[in-house]
Amino acid sequence: MIVNILIDFSLAFCVGYCWGILFGTPFKGLWMAGLLGGFGHCLRFIELQLGLGLIPSTLIASVTIGLLGIYCSHKVHNPPVVFTMPACITMIPGLFAYRSMLGFIKLSDQATLDRDPKILQEISHNAVLTFSLLFALAVGISISALLFRNKSLKDIHFFDVK
Amino acid sequence: MVDLPENQNLEKEKINADEFADFLLDIGAFLMSSGAHCGRVWRNCKRIADHWGFHMNLNPTFTGMLVSVWDENDKENAVTRYKTAPTHSVHFEILTLISHLSWKISKGQMDFVESKKELEKIHRTKNYHYLIVALVVGISCACLCSIAGGDLVNCGTVLIAASIGSVIRSWILRLKINSFLSFIIASFVTTMIASLDTIFKLGTAPEIALATAVLYLIPGVPLINSVIDLLEGYLTAAIARSLFAASIITCIAVGMTLSIMLLGIGNF
Repeated sequence: MIVNILIDFSLAFCVGYCWGILFGTPFKGLWMAGLLGGFGHCLRFIELQLGLGLIPSTLIASVTIGLLGIYCSHKVHNPPVVFTMPACITMIPGLFAYRSMLGFIKLSDQATLDRDPKILQEISHNAVLTFSLLFALAVGISISALLFRNKSLKDIHFFDVK
Repeated sequence: MVDLPENQNLEKEKINADEFADFLLDIGAFLMSSGAHCGRVWRNCKRIADHWGFHMNLNPTFTGMLVSVWDENDKENAVTRYKTAPTHSVHFEILTLISHLSWKISKGQMDFVESKKELEKIHRTKNYHYLIVALVVGISCACLCSIAGGDLVNCGTVLIAASIGSVIRSWILRLKINSFLSFIIASFVTTMIASLDTIFKLGTAPEIALATAVLYLIPGVPLINSVIDLLEGYLTAAIARSLFAASIITCIAVGMTLSIMLLGIGNF
């Protein structure tokens, strides 16, 4: 179990770090992106193992990333979005997006549709999952903007950072 | 009574509203095209305008920015300007640098001429080299494939497919043709390589290899920014961003569809 969590953490760390480079995050922020991504993803992994649903666990993980990002932005002197965005990308619903797209392609063929009428059901299920997961990620990243509207992060201190 | 604020104002430099609006537009449009959400653009510009005693109204849309400024002590010193945003390409280092610049200005560590020079310097900031990005993109897509349940063979295919696709996309972008075309071609090439797993029945989960190989093309930044803008009330920018992201996703789907049709849909 713990080995699984560690493997999940290290894979997600790689993903967060690499997406940071793709997005042009400054070098100091890359480690933060990797650590937050790994932490968020293994948090989601644990929640899924405990039997929580996919969408609530993604929401909890991304909100945790967003809140930790506020704390970390004081440490590395970068705006939080610079590393919370790559960190949250580790949970992007690629597989569901792909399945709904493949379903749409199959929908254009009458013979396939006749053979397997459950296709429509699958498409809508996957599409709804994709959109709700994306929304959960966006809420996590913008949690600081939602809670502390129009307040700059320099004025927000959870603990005494300095 | 009237003298006191004027005396204080004399200590500060007198800035022409024309030049100031240009400076703000330069910062705002640059931030917007580097992947900042509208709330960040507004906050950075407001911080700078407050320091030099200007009232500011800002209308950020995805394609450009409208700004209207006037001097608090001199109502005649006012102007409204518009600027079209440059081509959108995500680069988060710009966000950090401009945020630092705006804090330096608001603490009074920089005058107007110096900050203009600093902005010029920020404009010349280089992104990571495209070959490094390609390698890194391959690694991250392979990791995502592994997380989703693919085995080592699938991961290897995904690494090669995503890296080659990324290199081809940056080559196409250099030709200065429509950027949507680059998404179609890149996703076509990537899917062609990744579908080798499906055709030759390699690995345990060929479906996952196909799904995760194109993930590097997903416009995550515009998608998430559009939701943030929606929540913060910048409706025009939110709609424009989601439309932009949706058309990129459509382009990816078109590329994948082309290659899947070419290889025969029965195989998938």
